[in-house]
Amino acid sequence: MSEQTIRKPLPTTDGDSQALWDGLKEGKLLLQHCADCGHVQYYQQSLCRLCQSKNLVHKPASGRGKIHSYSVVHRAPGPAFKGDVPYAVLLVELEEGPRMISRLVGNDFDALDFDLPVKLQTVKISDDVCLPYFSLM
Amino acid sequence: MSNRSLRGKVAIVGVGQSPSGRVPDRSPLDLTADATLKALADAGMDKSEIDGVLTGNAFASSFHRFSVALSEYLNIQPSYSNTLQVSGATAAAAVNTAAAAINAGLADTVLVACGDSLLTGMTPDMAIRAMTESRDQQYEMPFGIPVANTFAMTAHRHMKEFGTTPEQMAQVAVTFREHAARTPGAQKTDPITIEDVLASKMVTTPYHKLDCSLISDGGVALILTSAERAYDYAQEPIFILGAGEHYSHEHIFLMPELTETGAVKSAQKAYDMAGISAKDVDVAGIYDCFTGTVLMMLEDLGFCKKGEAGPFVEAGEITYGGTIPTNTHGGMLSYAHPGIPAAWYHFAEVVRQLRNSCGDRQVTDAELGLVHTLGAGFSTQATTILGKESTL
Repeated sequence: MSEQTIRKPLPTTDGDSQALWDGLKEGKLLLQHCADCGHVQYYQQSLCRLCQSKNLVHKPASGRGKIHSYSVVHRAPGPAFKGDVPYAVLLVELEEGPRMISRLVGNDFDALDFDLPVKLQTVKISDDVCLPYFSLM
Repeated sequence: MSNRSLRGKVAIVGVGQSPSGRVPDRSPLDLTADATLKALADAGMDKSEIDGVLTGNAFASSFHRFSVALSEYLNIQPSYSNTLQVSGATAAAAVNTAAAAINAGLADTVLVACGDSLLTGMTPDMAIRAMTESRDQQYEMPFGIPVANTFAMTAHRHMKEFGTTPEQMAQVAVTFREHAARTPGAQKTDPITIEDVLASKMVTTPYHKLDCSLISDGGVALILTSAERAYDYAQEPIFILGAGEHYSHEHIFLMPELTETGAVKSAQKAYDMAGISAKDVDVAGIYDCFTGTVLMMLEDLGFCKKGEAGPFVEAGEITYGGTIPTNTHGGMLSYAHPGIPAAWYHFAEVVRQLRNSCGDRQVTDAELGLVHTLGAGFSTQATTILGKESTL
């Protein structure tokens, strides 16, 4: 097995996403607000997904959301995640509207439930990358 | 909406399969070529008549253009070729695309084939790539979300919204195992109970090991030709009556609603083209990567109401004597799941049911069939309606 497949996949930033990953290093989850139609979106791209305006403004999310769905992973998707199982993947619905994939901080799986409030907690996973995880309130 | 239609313009005239299950030391191209030769023999056709080739890609093969590599392997030089990639939906998407190409005059006779050796032919690196590369590398995979997890989260929400139970999901696996027991060549034929499913190892909640499809080797081939030529061959032609597809999102977090999928629109387009509704369908092949996936598809394809698939399956409605006998070969949960080719078996089975050649697993008086394939956390959806000449 090559080293590359044992290492965890880290996000490769591009022109669309650089601001998001920079923001996370400062503990902020940036959302794109369309200055023309008001749509709020995650993830970052060059166009508003509703009206295709390029007039997008980054604003930090409140960090509050709720669990729309979740699944506790017992069988790791490859050796990179073997040391992590079991862990909970969350589909979080942010207060501002967008949904995102995230992970639960900690392993209090019994406390998990649908529509439960959660709050943002950025977690440093390498020198250059902080991921937006969520914890129970 | 377009009033152009594929209805009755193209037929499936040949079906072939390589050995499936655990088939060591045979490359994806070998398995696909083997299936192709069997489909040609089934049709009573010479390979010189094939002027189009459509395939999916194989994980255990390094060819980027699998359709082109397959042509070379068989020494065919087609005028039309493509390797499609819409994950699990590729099977019906390839059949629909082949029918469209024939109807448009791009080819007369198209080989639609796929084979892979997911079980015995993958290096560890290939296996990991197959598991992780299909999810987005920025916004999904860094969180450790395998593709199974996207399907698990939709099923989980379905449980929350409609009271669907793990037992109801397990019933899907139990029923398809019963079907596989009647099917020669099925990978898993030992009977299982709901308790067995619930006692099998948890993979990603709410899915246990037996809620998940198998891992297999195998290849399947279909041969499609125009309605005008369809009677020149050995088998009863099975016509394409309707085709529909829908692509609603890429990321699971941008799926509009977790409990209603693009299959609603994909199926509606196919039903409209065929001039039928769900209640007219006699036999179905439904992509069964996970048990809960089948429940959601039974609702979205219109076989039962939204939220009612759990009781529907418990009442025996997806087996013989029920509303819609489904995956009578055993599906990906029990017959075989060699990756992208998996849903080709659903076509092979529904064609055989409509030819009335299924022996003791025959659905009585089957005239109209549906195949629905999907992939990538319900991102990709493709439906094909098939029928005997009597349905034209």
